[in-house]
Parts: sequence; C-alpha cells; structure tokens
Amino acid sequence: MSFTQVARSCGRFAAALTTVRIASVAVQTQSRMLHRIAVPAIGAQLTQFFTVRNYSVRNTMEEIEHRVLKVVSAYDKVTADKESRCRWQTQSVRSYSAKPPLSLKLINERVLLVLKLYDKIDPSKLNVNSHFINDLGLDSLDHVEVIMAMEDEFGFEIPDSDAEKLLKPADIIKYVADKEDVYE
Amino acid sequence: MAGREAVKRAVQQVRPILSVDRDEARKRALNLYKAWYRQIPYIVMDYDIPMSVEQCRDKLREEFVKNRSVTDIRVIDMLVIKGQMELKESVEIWKQKGHIMRYWKESQEPKPTDFLSKFIQGVN
Repeated sequence: MSFTQVARSCGRFAAALTTVRIASVAVQTQSRMLHRIAVPAIGAQLTQFFTVRNYSVRNTMEEIEHRVLKVVSAYDKVTADKESRCRWQTQSVRSYSAKPPLSLKLINERVLLVLKLYDKIDPSKLNVNSHFINDLGLDSLDHVEVIMAMEDEFGFEIPDSDAEKLLKPADIIKYVADKEDVYE
Repeated sequence: MAGREAVKRAVQQVRPILSVDRDEARKRALNLYKAWYRQIPYIVMDYDIPMSVEQCRDKLREEFVKNRSVTDIRVIDMLVIKGQMELKESVEIWKQKGHIMRYWKESQEPKPTDFLSKFIQGVN
C-alpha cells in the first residue's frame, strides 16, 4: 500500500465520519422539533383556514386572490354550516377520562367509606346522621381534615363558608349531590 | 367636654389586627391549618427531611393545639400571621432543612424532672 493510498483511505474515512455526524445532528434537531408537533390545537385549526405562506416563492396575483377570498369566506361563515361541523366533531370525541355518573346511593357509599377509613372515627358509631363534633368526638381540626378528604374524594374544592356548615355525613352527601347535579 | 370624653372612652375599642369577631379569627386559623396540611407533602419532598408526612401532620396539629386556649382575637390574628409567614418561608425554600427540623427540637435536652438529675445539672 503506497502512502497516497493510505492518505486517500484516511480522507474517505474522515468524510464518512462527518456524514455520520451530520446525520446524527439532523436526527437531534428533528427530535428537538418533535415537541412542536404537540403545540395547542389552535395551530392545527388555523392551518385549516390558512395555507402555509411561502415567502421564498413569489405568488401570482391569482393565488393571492384565492387565498384572501378563502380567508374572508372563513371569517364570514359564522353560520350553521360551521357550527354543525363543530358539533359533529365534539360528538365524535369520547372522553374516557370523564367522571363516572353519580347517584345519591353512590355518593352515600363513598362518603361513608372515606369516613370509615379516617382513623379518628369509630366505624361502629358512624351513621349518616351522626354529628362529627358532638357524636363522633372530633375537634375542629379533625373536621377540617374530613372536609379536605371529601375534597380529594370528589375532586372539587369546598369553600370555607360552606365547609363549616357540613357537620354531618348527610350534609356532605346533600352538598356533593347539589354540586354534581344529582337528584335521584 | 367631660361628657364627650366619657362617651369616647365608652365607645373606644381595641383596634383589630385582621379579624373583627371570633368567627372570623377561627376561620383564619382553620384556613391556615388547611394550607399547611396541603403543603406538608411538598415540604417533606422538597426539604428531604427524615420525617414522614404523618409525623409532620401530627406536629402541625401539636403546634395548633399548643395555642388552643388563646381567646384574644388579636393574639389569634398575630399567631395566624406568624404561621402564614412560616408557611411562606417553607414554600419558597427560604428556610433550610435545619429550620424545618427545629420543630421537633431534636437538639434540645429535655428539662430534668426528678431531684437527682436536677441536682446534677445544677437546676432547681
């Protein structure tokens, strides 16, 4: 193997290395850009109305006219046509993360379960109509904890003004039912 | 003149700090308890203290029960304000681990109770 051959093969190797590096850089940038795919849905909606503008190509007059008319028509159509499409879209989406439907019985069971699991309440004394402070012997701090447990259980916040009125499990059940619009 | 002063003295009230009646002061105290209770898991996580969430909650209750007998509304308000300040300090990590652990008073020797240990420590 002559010296020139060695030098040439070295050069080739270096070239191969650089291409590999460039490829890896490109992959990195692609993966870095990936999060942009998940940008809010507004972007996706906008692309429905606006085609992507390409500034490097000079548009013909017709193209511009077409685009402007399309935009204007999209703004004009605040009509039944657009609304019906939206409704159809929302109907087609099923949200599996929604809360299960509640009934008064279910609320009752859940409230009593939370109270039974609370270690300062004696489950044998527990009743729907037992008063937290007088019958079950809790103090005001325990009462606050109970209300917080209910907030965690049902997933909404109970304001202080309402919390101090919820002195019995029955009150809590009624309050939750009112909040969740459960009547039967 | 004297009459006016007498009226003023009769009507005169102590200026409230925050709360005007007991219910409001109680509400503030319970609100503070709630805020601390909700914050405790994050405090345990952020400060990496060798205590569990339950132990911290017991300590929180202890701190509140310590002031159970306070009846003066202004004193209650002041304690609530101090509690809020401490909460703010813990939330913003203006405290350090040692400041949190100070609630347990690990480094303090308990005071001697029986005669001999009092005598040895020189406490009467």
